[in-house]
Amino acid sequence: MQDAITTLINTSDTQGKYLDESSLNNLQDYFRSGELRARAAMTISANASTIVTRTTAKSLLYTDITAPGGNMYTCRRYAACVRDMDYFLRYATYAMLAGDPSILDERVLNGLRETYNSLGVPVGATVRAVQAMKEVTTEMLGADAGKEMGLYFDHICTGLS
Amino acid sequence: MSLVTELILSADSEARYPAPKEIRIYQDFVKTGEQRIRIAKILAENEQRIVQNGSARFWERCPNTPSNCGNERKTASCQRDQGWYVRLIAYSILAGSERPLEEIGTVGIKEMYNNLEIPIRNIAECMRCLKEEAMSLMSEEDGAEVAPYFDLIIHSLS
Repeated sequence: MQDAITTLINTSDTQGKYLDESSLNNLQDYFRSGELRARAAMTISANASTIVTRTTAKSLLYTDITAPGGNMYTCRRYAACVRDMDYFLRYATYAMLAGDPSILDERVLNGLRETYNSLGVPVGATVRAVQAMKEVTTEMLGADAGKEMGLYFDHICTGLS
Repeated sequence: MSLVTELILSADSEARYPAPKEIRIYQDFVKTGEQRIRIAKILAENEQRIVQNGSARFWERCPNTPSNCGNERKTASCQRDQGWYVRLIAYSILAGSERPLEEIGTVGIKEMYNNLEIPIRNIAECMRCLKEEAMSLMSEEDGAEVAPYFDLIIHSLS
């Protein structure tokens, strides 16, 4: 995986250069946003199961997907779905701390759409759930941190569709 | 690899959120961001000076060495390498981790210089000179941040 710092270092290193002015400015912004990121990560970590519960309630619970014949019908499937929501939240939090989405690509999205297709998991409903998670998280974290987390939730949606 | 990536990968290997202690380490790291950028700039702007003055110091202590053998091409490549190590240290300071320096510059360092037939002990001495030169350019606080990375290179040569 990469983060906001290693991306800049790697780019500079392949050219044998020091970080230029604009890279250093980017780093400065990242360092300055660090406290916001740390607080957001702590809040999410403390409220992860609440976020997932609210997300499910908001997006999936009263739709056809949980009714007989739906892909979330049966407890086992419901549990698998909740587990995936947990994963999305945790990896989006990692990416937010890193200031870089690559960990999502490598550890969540790689092959996920194909897996969901073969399991019959509807991608549309998943994307709606991730969008709901974005709203729930923003309500909890406030606009600034919510916006930052939103980047990575959107990245998951783009990767899925 | 940076301090940030290290702590994320460590949390992920146990499928958990970063622990309070890790978050505290992260907070301390981002708080020192300004200082890290300042040090990286000092190293970037003074690389030539560190290498030139460091070499002069080194040749006094160790006159019989490839970079001082009269072959200009050799001198140039030795000093280019020395500059690279200054750059890698600047990366490591920004990353808050020795990993960039290790991954790019110290894993395999002995084998490489042995293969190039450059005496390892001379390189270690040269790194000591670069370290002294770099430290003389900055405050004690900044120097304390830089020194361990030079020591890491010297250690990996022993």
